[in-house]
Amino acid sequence: MTTMLSNNLDMFAKRSFPVLAGIFFVLISTVPYYIPGFGPVAPNVVLIAVFFWVIHHAEFVPTATVFFIGLLLDILSGAPPGINAATLVLVRTMLVMQSKVFRGKSFLLLWWGFSLVAFLVGLVIWALSTFYHMILLNPLPIIFQMLMTITIFPFFSWGFAKLHQKFLPID
Amino acid sequence: MNRLRGSSEIGLSTSIKVLINRFSYLFFVLAAFGIMLLSKADTFVVEKVSTIVVDVFSPLMRAVSEPAAAINDAVDRVHELANIREQNVLLRRENERLLVWKTKAEKLSAQNKSLQTLLNFKPDSSLKSITARVIANSGGAFVRSVVVNTGKSKGVRKGQAAVAGAGLVGRVASSGYQSARVLLITDINSRVPVLVGQKRDRAILRGDNTFMPPLRFLPVNASVELGDNVVTSGHGGVFPPGLKIGEIIKDSEGGFRVMPKVIFERLEFLRLIDFLPKSLENHTPYDRSSETKVNFQ
Repeated sequence: MTTMLSNNLDMFAKRSFPVLAGIFFVLISTVPYYIPGFGPVAPNVVLIAVFFWVIHHAEFVPTATVFFIGLLLDILSGAPPGINAATLVLVRTMLVMQSKVFRGKSFLLLWWGFSLVAFLVGLVIWALSTFYHMILLNPLPIIFQMLMTITIFPFFSWGFAKLHQKFLPID
Repeated sequence: MNRLRGSSEIGLSTSIKVLINRFSYLFFVLAAFGIMLLSKADTFVVEKVSTIVVDVFSPLMRAVSEPAAAINDAVDRVHELANIREQNVLLRRENERLLVWKTKAEKLSAQNKSLQTLLNFKPDSSLKSITARVIANSGGAFVRSVVVNTGKSKGVRKGQAAVAGAGLVGRVASSGYQSARVLLITDINSRVPVLVGQKRDRAILRGDNTFMPPLRFLPVNASVELGDNVVTSGHGGVFPPGLKIGEIIKDSEGGFRVMPKVIFERLEFLRLIDFLPKSLENHTPYDRSSETKVNFQ
């Protein structure tokens, strides 16, 4: 009985870890950095977190979770609600479909894959924002934001891998 | 027979589950688009829900933002210490200049008062402000807004003007109980009626997500020059008249833009100005005891 309870608690902790980490990174995304010019091009750390967790433990990051993390990001950042939610759900779907391409592959391939995903995410966010505001928006901020995200990917990926090994050991 | 029916029922429920799992993404993508369209069509519901969510998360946002604010303060202090000698010389010079201006201002103020008495002029009631700390940035490529740690509980309400030391920052777009979102004047949804230069030409400052928003609807015969001051006109009743915004610059296409006085990424504290018509003042259901009176004239 005690073993069953402890197993259930363990599973609950494992399942809730990516969600809590997602919420934490949403909060990190809204921190004022006080660096002139940095705000609009600050890296999208939530995208890195979702990419990493879907690649390694998609079963712990269901579509509903990704949707709510995206929606929370939209609401807290003041973006039109739904843009990041739709984008992150699309990213999850794409990664699940292509999971064989990424699983167990070298870091460089993962980085390359992430770069492509980040580029597509930038394109989708720009298109949806343009559609929402009915104004052709300058794509430069999102291009720089995605370049920043791609640049910091190795650092965050390393950090996530450490957390991953500690809380969600790879099968 | 019963076993056969049972196994077919299990098979059916499993295949429904598989089908739901396979197409759940479609449901959520459509839900996201639905929310997006709803927020475009009916802003009230979405704004209400967003305000509640921001309110709930504001203590966490405050906690996460504090280390960044502490680091920023420390960097500022080191920077100030490094330039203390240089700053001292500059301040002495500025002080001398300001003393000359003080004499002129006192003379003009006295003259102004006597002219007002002659014209029987009734000045605007003094404006009241609420101080708030920035706890979150927009963090998006296409949004320019900040969240502050004060809300309806302290008298913050939608539409109030937000100013930092040097000039206008934006206006309160939504207010929760303990937090509020301020839309910056650089945001694509921002429109501010302004007066330009000595001749006080009227125009609209339209945010375009850049750091230097353009001026629109400037009269054809306007005599605008580089370096002219841009201030709020007060038309529309949202912003009090005379709030400094910035100076005129020219863009590469020859259009006029405004270089704001405020560095938006370095905002730490804002003053939210209660610019409420006198006739409505008695209808505000909050305690005004924590407010400070400010004078912009």
